[in-house]
Amino acid sequence: MIPLSWYLILAAALFSVGLFGVLARKNAIAILLGVELMLNAVNINLVAFWRYGSLASIAGQVFAIIVFAVAAAEVAVGLGLVISVYRRRNTVVADELDLMKW
Amino acid sequence: MTAIQIIFILSALVILGAAVMVVSTRNLVHAALYLVATLFGVAVLYAILDATFLTVVQVVVYIGAIAILFIFAIMLTRREMRDQGEQLNKGWGAAALIGLLTFGGLFMLLNNWRGVNATAAALPSGFDGVVELGTALVSTDAFVLPFEVASVLLLAALIGAVYVAGTKK
Amino acid sequence: MNPTTFAAILPEVLLLVLGILILVVEPFWKEKDRRNTGWLTFGGLLAILVVSLLAGRPGEPTSVFGGTIRFDWLGFFFKMLFIFAAAMTSLFMMDVEKLGRRGESYLLLLASTLGMNLMASASDLVMLYLAIETTSIPLYVLSGFIVDDEKSTESGFKYLLFGAMTSAVMLYGFSLLFGFTGTTNLYEIAAAVAGAQVSTVTALGVIALVLVGIGFKVSLVPFHFWAPDTYEGAPTPVAGFLSTASKAAGFAVLVRLFFIAFAKNGLAPDWTTGLAALATLTMTLGNLVAMTQTNIKRLLAYSSIAHAGYVMIGVVAFSNLGVTSVVFYLIAYILTNLAAFGIVAVFSRVAGSDKISDYAGLSRRSPWLAMAMLVAFLSLAGMPPFGGFVAKVFVFAAAVKSDLVWLAVVGVINSILGVYYYLTVLKVVYLYRMEGEAEESHPIPLTRPYGIALVVLSLGVLLIGTLFAPWFSASGAAALNLF
Repeated sequence: MIPLSWYLILAAALFSVGLFGVLARKNAIAILLGVELMLNAVNINLVAFWRYGSLASIAGQVFAIIVFAVAAAEVAVGLGLVISVYRRRNTVVADELDLMKW
Repeated sequence: MTAIQIIFILSALVILGAAVMVVSTRNLVHAALYLVATLFGVAVLYAILDATFLTVVQVVVYIGAIAILFIFAIMLTRREMRDQGEQLNKGWGAAALIGLLTFGGLFMLLNNWRGVNATAAALPSGFDGVVELGTALVSTDAFVLPFEVASVLLLAALIGAVYVAGTKK
Repeated sequence: MNPTTFAAILPEVLLLVLGILILVVEPFWKEKDRRNTGWLTFGGLLAILVVSLLAGRPGEPTSVFGGTIRFDWLGFFFKMLFIFAAAMTSLFMMDVEKLGRRGESYLLLLASTLGMNLMASASDLVMLYLAIETTSIPLYVLSGFIVDDEKSTESGFKYLLFGAMTSAVMLYGFSLLFGFTGTTNLYEIAAAVAGAQVSTVTALGVIALVLVGIGFKVSLVPFHFWAPDTYEGAPTPVAGFLSTASKAAGFAVLVRLFFIAFAKNGLAPDWTTGLAALATLTMTLGNLVAMTQTNIKRLLAYSSIAHAGYVMIGVVAFSNLGVTSVVFYLIAYILTNLAAFGIVAVFSRVAGSDKISDYAGLSRRSPWLAMAMLVAFLSLAGMPPFGGFVAKVFVFAAAVKSDLVWLAVVGVINSILGVYYYLTVLKVVYLYRMEGEAEESHPIPLTRPYGIALVVLSLGVLLIGTLFAPWFSASGAAALNLF
């Protein structure tokens, strides 16, 4: 049997990789790809907690379903905005998204 | 090592390997395809965790819709597709550090929690996760409100996305 | 469904009905009549406000819908505030080019308001997360709504990227919270935390993750980077809505999460120290950077960051008076800042500029607009007899009462810094003249929606500053309901 810690550590690693992608990537679409990795890490957590916790409460799975819905909405709007920016600027490189701008 | 553990380790390797490629490959189409690989790996985990419905949703919605949407968007922004230059910004070293620190921090956090080595109880006989989930989503004593609000959110997102992406001059 | 259950979601149901009405009616209107969608939205929101006040008042706090939302005065109070802010915003939106004649914009405004309402009343992590996203996602689109304006698209885009990232971090915190306590209900989580199922270190780690997402919503330093860029590029009424209602919704969540879920088991001293540091940073940085701005929208953005810091003082006080002062501060702040952004919208529509130096001679070009600006900016600066003054006094008093004198002192020093740049703007408005032009030949006409909204807001700011007792006791009643 697999201990819970395996799932949790895998999810933590996936989350960190996604976070790196979000912070390090230039291209807006690539940043959104990183966000998807983070959301998947969350879902692994949720489902694993559900399976290893009390099965009586289905909340973990419900939460995961809601995360699916939100991710779909976020990606639809995100890519819509990316395309809108691309039309104006002919680029989707988020270079000006300088994290250290005061 | 049992068969199920081997399956877990294989899918974990696929998930993490593909995830690293998603954030590091220069070609965005490849990145999106690696994302599909990660998503498949996660679907396998759901199957191991007895979340059958989520497995299907992961494949149909995440891979079938979200990942494909990404590929469409990449193709619609064609100039980026051919962009083979450096894809990481100047601060990527700091980003890598933050990523590592986050992992370290989360690892410590999890170690600090005493339930971390829990093992799963066997599913009771006659347990049907899909029925449970479906009931919870429409029951007024459970999650009917989030379920309905999700539909409002999707409608708003649909209208918004069509507007920003679709409006011509 | 019993009547209480229905009353708990009455405003949300009505918002949805109004949205559907707009969706159905608007396409049948001719292009020139489309602006009426704004009147429809405004009227509808007012009607919702009245109906909810009559039929949707909460009694004793109750958990409804399986504990996903809590029906209490705190949530109700915030809901009414959000609906009011949305009504004012719909008025401001009407005469904005490429925004006011599109039914979609009003629809997104309503969807976002619906999300905020649920943020204020959610008592379950699933509901809370969904509510936060239902608020944010329409706002991303609204910020980038003017698709042929480079700045607007970029604004929406940046807001989305920051929002998606921070909400994913927060969500990870939620998932750990669910795992560690075995429940998604905030009140059950509180019990689990109190029962020491979660060690202090673990809890603080989770708090840090969650704070990233909420810090983004209320624009706390260091999660404030998006605010100036987004406010500058977004259509001005949308920026006003972002800086008021959206921020207040973030605080509603913050208060409920921290005062309920993380309050027990001796956790509070740990996070109040951290939040006090964040509040200090937020106020100081917001005020210092605001001084150097030349664009009025960026100035208001940094000022709104600073105000998030002041509100935070009330949260850090961690007392009944603290929550009361937070609620009261938010009422005054919403009225004041909506007015400020409304004035900017009026001005930039005619003058086509957001530069502070272009406000020279405004007092002659439009005395009434200048008067409204005087009220709004003096209230922001915390001058009596306006709402901002009383609000600041209460927040600082709450800090002093909780033995946080140093924090109150920091707040007072920061208010003085703030006075400087607010008065600088007023100096340009009242003392400077337009160069080489007669101001009288450049009037700034107020259209009817702007006029109505600005009169209502200015009177509101004055009313709260002078007759504050009823508002304060209402805030106090809301605060009591939290526990």
